[in-house]
Amino acid sequence: MTPRRMTFLAASVAALAGSTALATAQERGGVMTYGRYQDSLFLDPVLNDANVDIWILSNMYDTLLLPTADGQGVEAGLATEWSVSEDGLTVTLTMREGIMFSDGTPITTEDVIWSLDRARNPDNGIWNFLLAAISEVTAPDDATIEIALSQPDPAFIPALSVFNAAIMPKAAFEGMPGETDLEKATAFAEAPIGSGPFTLESWDRGSTLKLVRNEHYWAEGADGEPLPYLDGVTFEVIPDDATRILRVQSGEIDGAELIPFARVGELEADPNINMELFPSTRVADIILNVRPEIEGAENPLSDVKVRQAMNYAANKDAIIQVVTFGVGTPTSSFMSSTTPLHTGEGAVFPHDLAQAQALMAGSGYPDGFSAEILILAGSQDELGIATALQQMWSQIGIDLTISQVDNATRTEEYRNGTFQMRAGAWTNDIADPSQITSYFAYSPTIEALHSGWMSEEVDELFEASQSEMAEAARADQFARIQEIYNMEGPIILLYETPYPVALQQNVKGFNQIPLGNNIFREAYLETE
Amino acid sequence: MSLPEFLGRRLLQLVPTLLFILIVVFVLVRLLPGDPASAILGDRALDADVERINRELGLDRPLPVQFWAFLKSVATGNLGNSISMKIPVTQLIWERLPITMLLTFMAATIAVVVAVPLAFVAALRRDRVADSVIRGGFQVGLSMPVFYVGLILLTVFGAKLRWFPVGGYGDGFLDHLYHLFLPAVTLALSLSAILMRNLRSAIIGVVDAEYVTFARAKGLRARLILFRHVLRNALISTLALFGLSIGTLLGGAVITETVFAVPGAGRLMIDSIYGRDYPVVQGLTIALAVLVSVTFVLTDILQAWLDPRVTR
Repeated sequence: MTPRRMTFLAASVAALAGSTALATAQERGGVMTYGRYQDSLFLDPVLNDANVDIWILSNMYDTLLLPTADGQGVEAGLATEWSVSEDGLTVTLTMREGIMFSDGTPITTEDVIWSLDRARNPDNGIWNFLLAAISEVTAPDDATIEIALSQPDPAFIPALSVFNAAIMPKAAFEGMPGETDLEKATAFAEAPIGSGPFTLESWDRGSTLKLVRNEHYWAEGADGEPLPYLDGVTFEVIPDDATRILRVQSGEIDGAELIPFARVGELEADPNINMELFPSTRVADIILNVRPEIEGAENPLSDVKVRQAMNYAANKDAIIQVVTFGVGTPTSSFMSSTTPLHTGEGAVFPHDLAQAQALMAGSGYPDGFSAEILILAGSQDELGIATALQQMWSQIGIDLTISQVDNATRTEEYRNGTFQMRAGAWTNDIADPSQITSYFAYSPTIEALHSGWMSEEVDELFEASQSEMAEAARADQFARIQEIYNMEGPIILLYETPYPVALQQNVKGFNQIPLGNNIFREAYLETE
Repeated sequence: MSLPEFLGRRLLQLVPTLLFILIVVFVLVRLLPGDPASAILGDRALDADVERINRELGLDRPLPVQFWAFLKSVATGNLGNSISMKIPVTQLIWERLPITMLLTFMAATIAVVVAVPLAFVAALRRDRVADSVIRGGFQVGLSMPVFYVGLILLTVFGAKLRWFPVGGYGDGFLDHLYHLFLPAVTLALSLSAILMRNLRSAIIGVVDAEYVTFARAKGLRARLILFRHVLRNALISTLALFGLSIGTLLGGAVITETVFAVPGAGRLMIDSIYGRDYPVVQGLTIALAVLVSVTFVLTDILQAWLDPRVTR
């Protein structure tokens, strides 16, 4: 053997050793502490209403299918196989063998049927629409679930991976004190029994929520042992941004969510911190009321040329620099680039003042007008956006008044259709474009973000897409919807941003998927 | 009038006060724009969902009917359930209010411990260096915003020196005290400044009074004069101020609790107002009103003991 070959051999042995080390690098044990800006409210998958619950529920409650790590598809969960019949009207799922709830009782088809029936009941919560296509859930045998649909629904498979379709123990839930579903759910949510990788240990409201590993969880780690790697996860509520960051910097907690964009650069430069920017479905925009009149006053925003002029006059790159400190990217459609069937690249309206001025001159308001925007009091991001737009739009003759109000006040004006403009943001709950499109563009849902905007073509395309099982045809429908909406819609397209999470360097395997869910099942703490 | 009689009368006065507060808070939360359902559901709310939830909560009934139902349940000690968290309001208050009470109590104690000796030093060394330094120092403390002081304390004593935890509440009573020390200091800062200034002028007033000159002429020892005559009399007005300040202190706890991530009632109040969680706002207001009123009664009793003229 020549020395040369020896070196090669040594190198391959070293490489092999390296890869083995990588494969067994996952370490077990330890509790990960995670700082959140706000506490959870109600740990019931069906009756909850807020992201503070949605984003952590999947750690406690498992679903038949799971969202993939990129948030764009589904993978096996409590069900190992799934198929949709030719006519799109029957979904058949095969249950995983030997699965149990966190209290050790087996998960039966009866639990599955009951859970899906509860989740789709129109009287329960606000998420039942996701499962509205179901006409009946049955179990032909102990290992099979058959779901009959009243119409084909291309968004149905992803819907089975959404938090509200979680499988819960029927007997335990029904044994709870109380008369109504809400009363039973309230009692149940105090000590929930699910089948996620973790289970609730204790909850001091407003302070700490402790999860411990579920010994009966079905998934296996890279080392062949059951997941999760961690013994537990402790959520600490730290509302103040500066304090949350200080606690990560001082090493008291292992991670912190929602780092303000202004601090991202500083934490990226900190050698002790791993500043993660997880891809998200979050888009920021300005919603415009396009009704010809608002409370009797003439509304210039009803003129599509005015809206396009405003879009061209808004310098997205400048706003991204000022508000997100360069973290964001311009939106190429009203839906985020991480949403399935998204189309477009780069800003829909690149900054072009001359074009904006020309459009204004050709509109019904060549001399400009005064307008008002509602932003959240205390939100630095929204204030930054509004201030920048105020300056940018003054160049096309728009005199913008900024009104800072609290969320409930703004929601009321929004729902009544009496607002003129408001800052808005959105994240998807499901790996499918239909949810966001239903709210943003399809007029029967909420009048296209309560803007009063309506396009018959968009409404027809959306309705057709709801039962279109041919992927290519559905993609065409959504491409056309995006084309119309992006060019004429009731919206100023701004930017999309990732989820900024600060972690200690030894935290590995944690993921916040684009839908927002915090996934701790494969997280572990390296001990060097 | 004997002390029990005095006490009974003061407690009886509480009833109309509380009833008035009940009406005000009930009306005020409902005057705010927006309703609980849309506040909780946010931008995704469908009209049908909002209507259904507000109906389930009984918010579609006429206001007088709602108020009567509210009054009846309060009379039986039932403050209703939180709209966003679903659990009973009494449970929430029981979990969160003691934390704020402990924080306020610690802050008040620290303020008194700091203010009283320094007031004496400043008053007895009137217009000399010590007086100027003490008054100047408190002036700086008084003019700094609470959240800023809090962040500085957290950064220096928490993150850098590691003498104290960076916020949170801890497990177990001693750990709670340890965690609440920095927030209590932050909260105590402005109160101690106010108390110090007030007590200093009161002492100066008393020291010059004729009965003190007389006591001195009798040849009483300086220490005896100081504690029996000067302190007791100077404290009367400061005590009234101290009692009134407890209410302000509870209000200041809101900001302090946010900065230090203390899960107290102040933070809960803010979240509930934003979330239009009517039952929690109502329940907490009642609890805080009772708390402040009880403090006033206790202050009155102390004052009566210090100054017998009060009950006469």
